[in-house]
Order: sequence, then structure tokens, then C-alpha cells
Amino acid sequence: MSQQVRDTILRKLDTFQEMPTLPVSLVPLLRYMEKPMEQMELQQIVDLVSKDKALAAQCLHMANSPLFGRRQAAQTIRDAVVALGFQRMRDVVVSCSVLSLSPSDNHGVDPTVFWEHSLGCALVCRQFASGIGFEDPGKAYLCGLLHDIGIIAHLWIAPREFCSAVEHARKDGSPLHEMELNSMGIHHAETGKLVSARWKFSDDVIEVAACHHDPSSASAHRSLVALVSLSDMLCRMSGLGHGITESRQIDLLEEPGFALLSQECPNLKNFDWAKFTFQLEGYMEEVHRLVSLLYRPQ
Amino acid sequence: MTVLSATSRAVESFAAPDPFMVRIRDLIYQVAGIFHADNKLRALEERCMRRMQVLAIKTYRDYYDCLTVKSIRQAELVALLNEITIGETCFFRNQPQIDGIRNIVLPKILEQRAKLSLRHLRIWSAGCSTGEEPYTLCMIMLEETATRLKGWTFEILATDLNERSLNHAKNGVYNAYSTRNLPALFREKYFAANGNDLQIDRNVKNYVNFSRLNLTDETKMLFMKGLDMILCCNVLIYFDGASKKRVIQHFYNGLLPHGYLFLGHSESLYGVSEDFRLVHMPSSTAYVKGKRNV
Repeated sequence: MSQQVRDTILRKLDTFQEMPTLPVSLVPLLRYMEKPMEQMELQQIVDLVSKDKALAAQCLHMANSPLFGRRQAAQTIRDAVVALGFQRMRDVVVSCSVLSLSPSDNHGVDPTVFWEHSLGCALVCRQFASGIGFEDPGKAYLCGLLHDIGIIAHLWIAPREFCSAVEHARKDGSPLHEMELNSMGIHHAETGKLVSARWKFSDDVIEVAACHHDPSSASAHRSLVALVSLSDMLCRMSGLGHGITESRQIDLLEEPGFALLSQECPNLKNFDWAKFTFQLEGYMEEVHRLVSLLYRPQ
Repeated sequence: MTVLSATSRAVESFAAPDPFMVRIRDLIYQVAGIFHADNKLRALEERCMRRMQVLAIKTYRDYYDCLTVKSIRQAELVALLNEITIGETCFFRNQPQIDGIRNIVLPKILEQRAKLSLRHLRIWSAGCSTGEEPYTLCMIMLEETATRLKGWTFEILATDLNERSLNHAKNGVYNAYSTRNLPALFREKYFAANGNDLQIDRNVKNYVNFSRLNLTDETKMLFMKGLDMILCCNVLIYFDGASKKRVIQHFYNGLLPHGYLFLGHSESLYGVSEDFRLVHMPSSTAYVKGKRNV
């Protein structure tokens, strides 16, 4: 049964017919935002975002959230870019754009819980990266946001089977990827690898989507994968776990991701995990509020 | 939704915290090990405001000075901590922690205890105040006697420094505020009406052994041994660094090799002890005595 489901998913992913197209604004924005800082121009970003009025409104909402560290209210996209800087603005624009990737027919599973997890994980990744002196917190944010993109693919191409896996995970208190593997023969990391490659995301995003449940299988971007893996786990244990409460105890310092990341970030040894966990609790309300406000399915 | 309305609603929902309030938050974490996340800063502000009214202080900056450089800083810190923890005690105060104990920790402990061929559990509520915490634990254990704890016995030691609190606990009568989180099932099963209050069942009382103990009493602390779990919530925040380290060392020595230490919500051992492992359970954390596998 699970082999059949797996084959069907792989076939559908191969043709990509049931998958959504990326929002028109997302691709040029991502390309543009990947340019070196010195080549970015304020007006071009403002123009790119302002082309889509709904996107512009969402970006302002997000830019004005304490989660993005604003100090003064931004009334226009230009204000927001000036207040937040190019990198944070990229975080905002990409977050708002990907939120529209979910299907409107949800087969009984509320897609907002997945976006809450992704946005929460992105924020945790960025703060974690800053806290341990990881070289690129902006990249960590982006990878945190997109690490579960395979779940969105499952919602499009195998909604019934995926919803059944979610139900089992909720009932058993088990991790979602294990339940997906049991009932569908494939989990969202494998799907995420295929779909993010198809959408031509960068290599690091693809590897994070593919390996975040098994960081030791990563090769080129091991520390980034490890960072997202630990952040993902922390979110799942802190009430931002796709609406699933995993009934288990974890010691983050025993996770493979910890050993991998400590090789590159010696500061990790002195990291205050307890305080970081309490800080994360402080985000949750705002993450719920933002996602419920900004979520718009296709 | 227009861009402008989106913006104004977002602006209404957020005001950047006063930088001195953030400093006060950090100071409390550094000194007492209790952290107020951003969504709890408003509550901390209210507590500070109460103290500022008493001291006739107008700004957070001046209050921060009181907590750091003025001659009253030690006394003021204790007064603020009292404000922070006031009204905290109630039955089922920290539901995720209770769920973690019942569904995750208890099975692990039973597995280890069974290896020792001792079908008996010892739990200590250190700083039990008026008894809500040990009675909550006791009710949870009693709920398990037909299933996980079939054939097991258990005892709950409950200590506090304050004689008046202990008398209240032994009396076992609680008002509506203390029982505000009490699930209906537990109310019906383990309490009887006593005027407007609720009286805890005698059977529950029999499992809990209340006594007076100062956690800094080195001699008496040596007798707290063979424990499976210690709960010490919002107590260590009042201790200075050295005393805190000593108390934690006693906890470590008193716990069995598989033992667990639970602190209050948002309370941390960072910088106090490296002997315990921090573990995460759903929406709660705990400290475990055992060594890491790596």
C-alpha cells in the first residue's frame, strides 16, 4: 500500500501537473535579493514588491511585527526597506510569498499549522544563528522557512494520504516524518528535495529540505542543515509542531545535528538552551497572529 | 485590506519595550535564573510598576538603578521577586510539566526502578508552599495506581521553610483561586466542599509527608536521599549564586541515577550547574541526572 502511494507521489512530482506555480513576484525577488548588498537598489525592491498589492500589504504587516525587529512604524514599502534593511526585507517578502503556496482544499488539515511551524522555525534559525556566531543568519532564516516545503507538496498531490499520516501522528504522539514513511512510503524530506530542485531553489535550500531529519546525510552544507534540524526539533517540542504533540523527551546535545554544528561553531558549547527555549515561547503568539492574518491559499 | 489599514493594525499591536525594562528582565535572569519572554514583558512591567509606586519612582531607568546601584538593591530585588511569584501557587499550575511527568518521565523512572527491584517511588516537592504542588502530584500518581503504578507504592515528601504555609498545607483547605485550574474530574474525586472552599481528601493527605526544611541546612539536606524526582519551583530564585550551587549539588546527590529535577516555568540552571542535562518535553523542560551517551 505504502509503496503504491510512494510511486504515485513520485510520478506526480515527475510531471509536476498538480503542483502550483511559484508566485510571479517570488522568483525575480529571490534572484534579486541574492545579489551582493552593494548591487541592491532600494527603488528596485520597492517596485518589485509594490507590483502585487496584496503582497505589499502583507509585507507591511510583517515588517511591522516585533518579530522582525522594527523600531518605528513603517507606512510604506519604502519605509519598511529602510527600517529593516535589505536582508530582513528579503525575509519578509519571501515569507509572504510562500504563504500563498498552499492549496485551498485542505482535506481536513489546517494548513496554517504548517506555516506557523515554518515561520517559527525560520525565526528560531535566524536567532540561533546569530546567537552562536553562524556566518549567515539570513540564509538560516530562508532555509528554516522552506525546510518543510515537502509538506506543501504532499498537501497538493497526496492530500488524503498525508492527512491520514497527520492524524496518526497526532494520535500516537509520533514525529510526522515517521508516520509519513509508514503510511505513504515517503516522507516530506525526500519530497522536499525533489520539489525544491524542481523550483530551482539554491543548493543549500535543497539540501536542508532533503536532510533536516538526518543531518549526518548532508554533504555540502552540513552545518546549515544541522542548525535547521536542531531549530526544527526545538519548535516541535515547543508547541509549534504542525499541531502534533510528540510525546517524548529529547536532549538536543545528543542529537547528531549538535555534534555537526559544534564542529563549525565553537560558541555552541556555551549556548544557553533554556533561555533560548523561553524566548521561543515569547514568539508563539505573534507567529500565530501573523500567519492567521497573512495566510492566503491558492 | 488596504496597505494603510494593515499597517495601522500592526502598529497598534506592538510597542517596542522600554530598553530599561529589557535590562531589568536580563538582570532578573542573571540573578534569579527566571526569564520573561517578550510576551511576558507586560506582566513584568506591571510588577515593576507596583514596586515603583511603593518607592515613588517614575521611570524604569530609576528603578533599574534601585536594583543595581542603590544601597537597597538586595532588598528591592527580593521585593520584586516576591511580586513576580505572588499568586503563582495553585493546583495544576504547569499543565505541560504535569503531562510530561505523567506520560514521559514516569514510564522512564518505572523502567529504571524495576531494574533495581524496588517497586517504590520517592518524590520531593522542595519549597512546597501551601501544598498545591505535592497534592497535585499525589493525585496524578493515584490516577496511575490502576495502570502504570499497579503493584507499586509511592511517597511524596513536601518541605518548606515557612511553618504557616506548612500548616495550611496540612489542613488541606483551598479557596477558589488556588483551585482555579483544577480539572472537574479531580475536583469530584479528591475534594469535598468546605463552605466556599474545597477540602482535600484524607487519602491524598496520607501519601504526602509535610515537614519544615531549610534548603541551606547542610546536615538535614544529607538525609534527602534515594529520590526519583525533585520539584523545586520558584524557590531557587531567592538564593545567591553560591547557595544555589550548594542546593543543586544536594539535589544531585539526593537523586537516584535516573532522577529528574523540575524547576518552575521559565526557570533555568544555566551557569549554576553542569551536572544535570537539560531535556525538552512537549512545551516544558526538565533536568536529568544521567550522563550523556555522547
